[in-house]
Amino acid sequence: MKKNTLILVIAILGISFMTYMMLSIGERKQEQAILNTAPIIKAEGIETRSDKWADAYPHQYDTWKQTAESNEIEDMVKKYPQLAILWAGYGFSKDYNAPRGHANALISNRSTLRTGAPTGPNDGPMPMACWACKSPDVPRLMQEHGELEYFTGKWARAGDEIVNPIGCGDCHSSQDAQLTITRPYLKRGLDAIGMTEDKITYQDMRSLACAQCHSEYYFKKTPYTDKDGKDQIAAVVTFPWAKGLAAEDMEEYYNEIEFKDWTNKMSKAPMLKAQHPGYEIFTTGVHFKRGLACADCHMPYTQKGAIKFSSHKIQKPLNDIANTCLTCHKQSEKEFKDIVQEKLDRKDQLNVIAMDNLAAAHLTAKKAWEVGATDAEMAPVLATIRSAQWLWDYSIASHGSFFHAPGETLRLLGVAGSKAQEARITLAGILANYGVINYQIPDISTKELAQQVAGVPFEKLVKAKLDFKKGLMQEWITDAKEDGRLTSTFVEDLPVKSAYPQN
Amino acid sequence: MKLETALRYGAMLAVAVAIGMGAYLTKESKATSYLSSDAKACINCHVMESYYATWEHSSHRERAVCVDCHLPVDNYIDKYASKSLDGWNHSKAFTLNTYGRRMLISDDGARRVQENCIRCHASRSKTLIKNVDRYHAFDSENLGDRKCWECHREVPHGKVRSINGTPNNLGVKWDR
Repeated sequence: MKKNTLILVIAILGISFMTYMMLSIGERKQEQAILNTAPIIKAEGIETRSDKWADAYPHQYDTWKQTAESNEIEDMVKKYPQLAILWAGYGFSKDYNAPRGHANALISNRSTLRTGAPTGPNDGPMPMACWACKSPDVPRLMQEHGELEYFTGKWARAGDEIVNPIGCGDCHSSQDAQLTITRPYLKRGLDAIGMTEDKITYQDMRSLACAQCHSEYYFKKTPYTDKDGKDQIAAVVTFPWAKGLAAEDMEEYYNEIEFKDWTNKMSKAPMLKAQHPGYEIFTTGVHFKRGLACADCHMPYTQKGAIKFSSHKIQKPLNDIANTCLTCHKQSEKEFKDIVQEKLDRKDQLNVIAMDNLAAAHLTAKKAWEVGATDAEMAPVLATIRSAQWLWDYSIASHGSFFHAPGETLRLLGVAGSKAQEARITLAGILANYGVINYQIPDISTKELAQQVAGVPFEKLVKAKLDFKKGLMQEWITDAKEDGRLTSTFVEDLPVKSAYPQN
Repeated sequence: MKLETALRYGAMLAVAVAIGMGAYLTKESKATSYLSSDAKACINCHVMESYYATWEHSSHRERAVCVDCHLPVDNYIDKYASKSLDGWNHSKAFTLNTYGRRMLISDDGARRVQENCIRCHASRSKTLIKNVDRYHAFDSENLGDRKCWECHREVPHGKVRSINGTPNNLGVKWDR
């Protein structure tokens, strides 16, 4: 009896102690789970308002805000009037500026003359696709209504929905803040090159988050039946990656499907417009080949007190050489700036030569049509011009290609300039057949002259745009604020700048 | 007689429950993981996460796990005595929540780490052998009480170490 009592008491003491330990362990495990879980910004879907992320990620948000500092307008058509001829008959001849910071994305998009001056939801020159890279509201709408539905209709259709500029929700999951691909067209592009999701590493993601937008694309006409049973056609952003990422691979892809973005108003050539193949051309450069990602140089680690975080002031690394280039290279800042300037100068020289030749080719072709050249005579020349301008555009349309891939950029500019020269030689022959010798192209030495030649009604466009900005655009903002889609006064108060006068 | 029977069955039942609970507790507390030298055993307690994260992002990751530096390795008695003592102190502190906000290595812990620095580096690092000067000649008196990490301050746990200050310390990892 004594023995049993003793065993019982010991066992009960053991059980009590173990119960206490079990409770204690449970509590610790709960603590651990809380520590190891990123804050949930939104339980489902995408939180598009970056200001709502600020509580959980104050440093990232603060540095993101600083992207607004990059807001100066550099009028590229003024700098290179040839561009108005190269893009004659296409939006870019109206207005084309150097890139600005992420926070300014929507202001730029609404302000550019390219998006026109719609007066209602079904008006204007541009499709919905033109918002695609400007805002986390885009993937939100795609999730809510479907991708094809999103890509249907005019740009002005969703002006009151798309109100938050490029921000947190574009690259991060609102549930756990991990990097994520919000744009389905990048997923399809990756599928096309055999880069399936299970092969993607974290380092890949630090570039692919950017590649969602900094890539070449075209609008693929896709018929479908909407939920009301009506036949619709969506203009779906599609990456032409199926044959590879190089300029020649994409050219082959476009030629095979006989695609053209528009017909040049001067030469009548069926043209391609390279958008911004930044990711693609980066993959041909040495920094990519050494395993670097976009974020390594554009989002360097920064320290604030004891907190170390990656800067979300995405900008050119040259603004912060000490924390970017110099973490690997051992030169002085001055030496670095000089090296980069040298690369830029080399590119600029070949760029101007290629543009001059392309503009001359377009204008000479126009003359050839005027004096009676036939389709059969012109077709091969126009194909050469198309190819030349594509290669030129691919090499310079993305930001910073001269640095991302200097060798490839110079090669493409060289080939483009040479092809444009070829076209000019053939055209000189055609003109001679019709008795025109020594044709001089018109004066296109300033933006005004070049736009006149290209038939851009600049004054009219500006006037309509200003009316739009005072009218429909204000309605969009008011609606978005009322419905709670836009909650940030920071975004609302960003200064509006443009290449044309604001009043 | 009846009481005695009840006591006997009661005792048997209690022992069975205790054994069952013991087994469950062993599993829940991951007690068996402490028999291994896996570094992950050290982050059973979340206070060690920032130390784990900094080590995992250091070059030492390739050569040495926690116990290679923090426990004596050439003497089994010393090793298991140290391991038991640390284990007892750590579980006591963590369970009763008596550890301070600023955790520092104990004198005995520092002795072990210093011995392990020398054990590997004195024989393996050519640079060190070449640079045997007043700070690196371990047998000279000039060294005094100095420890390796008084100069090599970032090895291997970095300068920044706190729950939210340590880079990559969030347990959520990119896991696709």
